[in-house]
Amino acid sequence: MKFLSIAAFTSALILGGHSAVSAQERGGVMTYGRYTDCLFLDPVLNDANVDIWILTNIYETLINPTDDGLGLEPGLATEWALSDAGDVVTLKLREGVKFSDGTAMTDDDVVWSLNRAKSPDNGIWNFMLASVDTVTATAPGTIELKLKYPDPTILSALSVFNSAIMPKATFEASAGATDAEKAQEFAKKPIGTGPFMLDSWDRGASMKLLKNPNYWDNGADGQPLPYLDGLTFEIIPDDATRILKLQSGDIDGAEFIPFARVAELKADANIKMELFPGTRVWDIIINVRPELGGNPNPLSDEKVRQAMNYAANKEALVQVVTFGVGTPLSSFMSTTTPMHSGDGPLFPYDLEKAKALMAESGFPDGFKTSILTIAGNQDDLGITTALQQMWAAIGIELEIKQVDNASRTEQYRAGTFDMRTGGWTNDIADASQITSYFAYSPTIDALHSGWKNAEVDELFEASQKEMDVAKRTAQFARIQEIFNVSGPTIALYETPYPVALGSKVNGFVQIPLGNNIFRETWLAK
Amino acid sequence: MHLASFIARRLLQLIPTLLFILIMVFALVRLLPGDPASAMLGDRALDADVARINKELGLDQPIVVQFVVFAKSVATGALGNSITLKVPVAELIATRLPITIVLTLMAALIAVLLAVPLAFVAATRRGRMADSAVRGAFQVGLSMPVFYLGLILLTVFGAQLRWFPVGGYGDGFLDHLHHLFLPALTLALSLSAVLMRNLRAAIIEVIDAEYVQFARAKGLPPGLILLRHVLRNALISTVALFGLSIGTLLSGAVITETVFAIPGAGRLMIDSIYARDYPVVQGLTIALAVLVSLTFLLTDLVQAWLDPRVAR
Amino acid sequence: MQARTALPLTLIIGGGILLASMIIGLFPTLFAPYDPNVFDYNALLQAPTLAHPMGTDNFGRDVLSRVIHAYTVDMQIAIFATVVPFIAGTIIGALVGYAGGWAEALFGRVVDAVITFPFLVLVIAIVSVLGPGLVNMYIAVGIVGWVFYARIIATEIKVQKRLDYAAAGRAMGYTHLRIIFRHLLPNAITPAIVYWMTDMALAILLGSSLGYLGLGAQPPTAEWGVQIADGKNFMATAWWISVFPGLAIVVTGLGFSLTGDGLAEVLRTKR
Repeated sequence: MKFLSIAAFTSALILGGHSAVSAQERGGVMTYGRYTDCLFLDPVLNDANVDIWILTNIYETLINPTDDGLGLEPGLATEWALSDAGDVVTLKLREGVKFSDGTAMTDDDVVWSLNRAKSPDNGIWNFMLASVDTVTATAPGTIELKLKYPDPTILSALSVFNSAIMPKATFEASAGATDAEKAQEFAKKPIGTGPFMLDSWDRGASMKLLKNPNYWDNGADGQPLPYLDGLTFEIIPDDATRILKLQSGDIDGAEFIPFARVAELKADANIKMELFPGTRVWDIIINVRPELGGNPNPLSDEKVRQAMNYAANKEALVQVVTFGVGTPLSSFMSTTTPMHSGDGPLFPYDLEKAKALMAESGFPDGFKTSILTIAGNQDDLGITTALQQMWAAIGIELEIKQVDNASRTEQYRAGTFDMRTGGWTNDIADASQITSYFAYSPTIDALHSGWKNAEVDELFEASQKEMDVAKRTAQFARIQEIFNVSGPTIALYETPYPVALGSKVNGFVQIPLGNNIFRETWLAK
Repeated sequence: MHLASFIARRLLQLIPTLLFILIMVFALVRLLPGDPASAMLGDRALDADVARINKELGLDQPIVVQFVVFAKSVATGALGNSITLKVPVAELIATRLPITIVLTLMAALIAVLLAVPLAFVAATRRGRMADSAVRGAFQVGLSMPVFYLGLILLTVFGAQLRWFPVGGYGDGFLDHLHHLFLPALTLALSLSAVLMRNLRAAIIEVIDAEYVQFARAKGLPPGLILLRHVLRNALISTVALFGLSIGTLLSGAVITETVFAIPGAGRLMIDSIYARDYPVVQGLTIALAVLVSLTFLLTDLVQAWLDPRVAR
Repeated sequence: MQARTALPLTLIIGGGILLASMIIGLFPTLFAPYDPNVFDYNALLQAPTLAHPMGTDNFGRDVLSRVIHAYTVDMQIAIFATVVPFIAGTIIGALVGYAGGWAEALFGRVVDAVITFPFLVLVIAIVSVLGPGLVNMYIAVGIVGWVFYARIIATEIKVQKRLDYAAAGRAMGYTHLRIIFRHLLPNAITPAIVYWMTDMALAILLGSSLGYLGLGAQPPTAEWGVQIADGKNFMATAWWISVFPGLAIVVTGLGFSLTGDGLAEVLRTKR
């Protein structure tokens, strides 16, 4: 067993990272405009990106994803090692870590937190730690995870929000009989080791975080992080108002800038328009079941799907919907996903080829179909309005059905939809999560499309136990090759996260997984 | 007068209304496609997770049992816990509904202050410049969608002139009022346009009526005629309209609240509908029903005061 | 009082606007220079020019053509979303106002229930059961809208029925229905007509609000409200996308309200 001693390397990264350009200044409260509020501040029991992308500022994991989303760096553990057989993980805990209430983080907290995260009764993320059999503290400051089987994703999984470390004693002392009830109490005043801690929360309006005075890491100036005294999230659901508030200087940053306004804000001298590389992919999910509602389903014809792919002009979509911000996809997963493969856009626009494929298909005269989109969503509306035009050219009449999200999810899960707009961001820096949902049929029927490919299923199962990186990369390459040509999606484009910041803001980053990192953010005076 | 018994009777009548609404809202939220667990867990949810969470929420129970649980929660006033936010519904309503009430009251006040005098000006100078100008201006106000009007007001009076904050709700009562002025004005403009038009027509109607002609013939001062006869009689149908509009404002200022980033009941309602957060939708609907009914009671009393014939 | 023979000016202008709107709405292809739904990737977000007098939107569609084609949809919205509530509300309101007593009490409770019930829950429920689209919007609006007319009329009827002429009607032995609809209603209907004309403009605006939430007219249908909602992201950079449909709403709304005022005047002088 050998320790990968990357601590020295990564601490250099932390100290000399993205914010080292100028001397950091301390103090001040940053106000960040969000489109919607957090729901539930529990790392294990939360369900949504609105929580996930903020949680890392309050709770921390043993291992952290790097800012580029591709690698790992030390978090609450300074070193880690995976046994050669791939079935034992040993982690050395960082010394002197305290929770925001001043109590020290113990081995017991770590063991308890990981056990809670992996319990199948808790939340929807426990599958990430499904391979973990036991968690024990073998020596003070050393944690050992025994795995049921070799798991190539386990280190990445330990960097995912749900395996964050929480204070066992405080949690258990919270009012309530069950874990869920205690979590509800605890999450009202959460305590973690993160750079910030919750001060007050006015639901639907604002959330105020204060600097954690006990934070373990130091900034570039040798003083404890974070640089900010506080961080306030203001909830401003309307895009235009959020931007107006930033422009008028009321807030220091705004998330989810509509693509239509990126160019305009880039031209604004008082605003830094950031496009952080993301794992966000946009696609159309197609129901490929042979029959729908008792009728034969033209979308089950692979030639039809390929014709639709060729007729969908992704370059044009990138222009009219993302205003040039996006990039056509070269695989179903984003280029920022480890083990992504494929070069050049999938199905470059070719109307003649599309028409020829339609003529060869079982539906040469075209057909009528529909697509479910989220009501009021401008991106969805743009994509589908454009596709309606593009597919009319090959005889497909597309009806756009705008419904609310829950109604769409209902039809999606029941498998009764024709098509729907789809979007995805990774939660883990690994290709397995997106592949599991998109291509591996046992998870959710390949995006509830009814698509199934025996070779893909086999390759995916093998990849989940393959410890050899080269072999695993080859497995994922083959899966992508099959899925990209015959799969149940129209891959459109990938986009970065558009965030607009005031000119005083420095050192903020949104990593490809979506997490907003305020740890080293500072405000120029 | 038997005012007390009138009010008491109306409050008693509230009980069957509330029962009816209770049943309707309970049934309708369950008729909406989807369920809280899959709405909450989203597209990636596994069947097992959805089933487990619906069970935790008691949604696998027979519908009658669920209704009894709901009815009990209403009877105790606790209204249950929010599914998505994990806090008591009563607490949510207590923080968010007052915001909407203040917003609506401000909007109503501004609307009346705009509509009543201008309706008089327009009606008494019928067909002349002042009349055309007032009506033209209101027509433009009436034709602007609130999200558009709101953004224009925010840009001009918020971001540029800095007279008002650019959205948000602020801290402290006076600050709240300061934040709520522009959204209230946004709501008030279309409301006042409706009221102004209605009132103008009513005033013209009354001015031409025989009893006013008679009063004029008797030589009563025009100001007195306007106040005592014209306004009183013209206001009757406008007050009915006003009451209804306030009712819809209370339950439906969603877009204004969204544009101005105000954490009011309208936004809570739509978020909860989208999340299929049954307890919140149910609880909020009941609370609104009480409020709207009280508003109608109030407008009925005003109508009765204006014209005892209406109340008999 | 002397009966006037000439129509009031307001009615002439208002009626003229509405007539023109109807003609455009019935034959949009005669007036629109382009297909309202066809994209032109070479003419995205163009400011007004001679080729595109109202500019183009983010898909390169001609805004003028879309405004013209929207007449078809918006005149439908204005009429269909309000006629049924107007007629139903007027009849119910007249009966309730005349009967009074328990009928009125019951009506009061129904009004409470209808107004209180979250409109958006209703719209989303209807949309998810019947699918999104304009017809379902008419249904949702109709379920709520009649209440306004009924309440206005009921209040007026209650006042009118105590006046001398109503008593005279009863003394003459007329049936209740005849008294209500021949004698009381013509005197009570003006506020309802005035409100109706405002309501038509409001219906178009409601289409816009629902468009903002994605529950109104469905793409690619051109509709003024949805056009304004679509132009929201371009208010600073391409104002023409939303301003011109907005102007169309103003002009049409003016047509409705002038017509309403004119009708009120005609009704008053006839009496």
